[in-house]
Amino acid sequence: MTRLRNTLRDLAEEAPLVNLADAAIAIHRRRRRTMLAVSTVVTVAALVATTAGAVVVWPRGDHMATPQRTDTVPDLPDGKVGAIKHAYQTSCKVSDPARNLDCGAVEWRVVTRSGETYRVPQALVSSRKAPRAPVAISRDGRMLAYYSRDAQAHVVRDLVSGVKVTSPVTVKEDRIGAGSMLAVSEDGRYVAFDPREGSKDPGLLIDMRTGKTVSIPGKYEVISIKNGAAELIRYRKTDLWLMPVTGGGKPVRFDGVFIMFSELSPDGRTVVAVDFPEVGKRVLTLLDAKTGRTLRKVPVRGLPKGGWIDGTATWLSRSEIVIVGGDKGHRSSYAVDVNTGRARLWVAYPAQLGQSLTLTLPGVSYSW
Amino acid sequence: MNRHDGFREFVLARQQALMRTAYLLVGDAHLAEDLLQSVLARVVGHWPKLSRDGGNPEAYTRKALVNQYISWRRRPRPESPSADPPERGSSSEEATLDRIVLHQALAKLTRKQRAVIVLRFWEDLTEAQTADALGCSIGNVKSQTHHALARLRALAPELSDLHIEEVAR
Repeated sequence: MTRLRNTLRDLAEEAPLVNLADAAIAIHRRRRRTMLAVSTVVTVAALVATTAGAVVVWPRGDHMATPQRTDTVPDLPDGKVGAIKHAYQTSCKVSDPARNLDCGAVEWRVVTRSGETYRVPQALVSSRKAPRAPVAISRDGRMLAYYSRDAQAHVVRDLVSGVKVTSPVTVKEDRIGAGSMLAVSEDGRYVAFDPREGSKDPGLLIDMRTGKTVSIPGKYEVISIKNGAAELIRYRKTDLWLMPVTGGGKPVRFDGVFIMFSELSPDGRTVVAVDFPEVGKRVLTLLDAKTGRTLRKVPVRGLPKGGWIDGTATWLSRSEIVIVGGDKGHRSSYAVDVNTGRARLWVAYPAQLGQSLTLTLPGVSYSW
Repeated sequence: MNRHDGFREFVLARQQALMRTAYLLVGDAHLAEDLLQSVLARVVGHWPKLSRDGGNPEAYTRKALVNQYISWRRRPRPESPSADPPERGSSSEEATLDRIVLHQALAKLTRKQRAVIVLRFWEDLTEAQTADALGCSIGNVKSQTHHALARLRALAPELSDLHIEEVAR
């Protein structure tokens, strides 16, 4: 055996002990239940239409999509709630001493700026094809966008005014695939939906007011919608396309491969990303979204020892950007000065979110 | 007998081996668990077919694992340890250093290159079996292996004395 084989063997020994049978069966059952529920609704609707000769109108009202929980977190009330600072998806629970995993009560929750936590049972948590369905928050925390199974469409809740708008464009739940992404504009008028991350399945930019849509080529993934343009990234090359919400525009190509893109800076032409070969090195790259030129590299200082950069998000000012960092099971966001590289703690998320991949922050389509 | 008992037995017997493969593919314990769990959740649905005579659940699962990994989330999770490895000494810690260096070097391969390295040198699959698992030609496996090994040598000069054999089987 070669030394490579020996080293691979040693490395493989680091893999933790797992017990995944029950978890896999639980997930399978949940997906099957979802599929059966949807097909039952479709069958009943078809029967009603056939027997009554009536036009079937898909129900628009939201009701519980997941079973009621017995804990004390209240449902997101109708009306004015206030802006939110993040959303997260709860984890599967180990339900009994036999360590069976119960994923039936997984749900989205939002946390307001004043610290209140609410359940959002109307928001789809998973589809038959996606273990996690996304939600999106506008960069000011005012708008919450999610997919409603009942409406078979996206919904935008204005949490400050209390107004709820259901998209006139229905999207089949089955279109929501693995790594599906969602972004919402600050005014809540536009929602961009990427059905499956990394696929060529085209996305959709929806005008929630008129129902007009603009197709987003599948090669691009949406990052944010800001200043009347959707920021789209094609990763392999890497290209950035600031597509006006009415369509048009053309992409710019960067010299190199970049990932973890931020939203567009207040200057209207700078984005922050991570140079792919530098993943894990705590270095940000400032890129010119107009010319494609690399403006400068910014080594980030002040992250915890052993911590890493997990993504970039929104700009706080012309010189500070929010990044998400990880550190041995903890997840926090930091405000980084792009001139000095100095990072200061912005939000430390609860410990359970460190283990989860479902933290959603305002302004960008990513979930962590 | 519960209809999932066969699947449970299979997972109980093979999950650790599959977990090691998943770990070598993604380089992160949590992600590896996530990857394997999502694949096993799909395997449950196909279990009646796979468990019939002639079915090969392990090969199917391995193939699904590799393909899921290749097409998985585009944004990589950072891999730990992220710190630079310590200076190489001549002590018995050499194996540990090799492990750290290889861990970091694997993270810099393309997904397909990494999958080829894992399948050929950890799973010990032949070129034909690797091609079958990846759904590509044997020629493609050969070229991916060649490029992956060349990249490993370039990325990790510390490992330049690895006696990497590009054995064609």
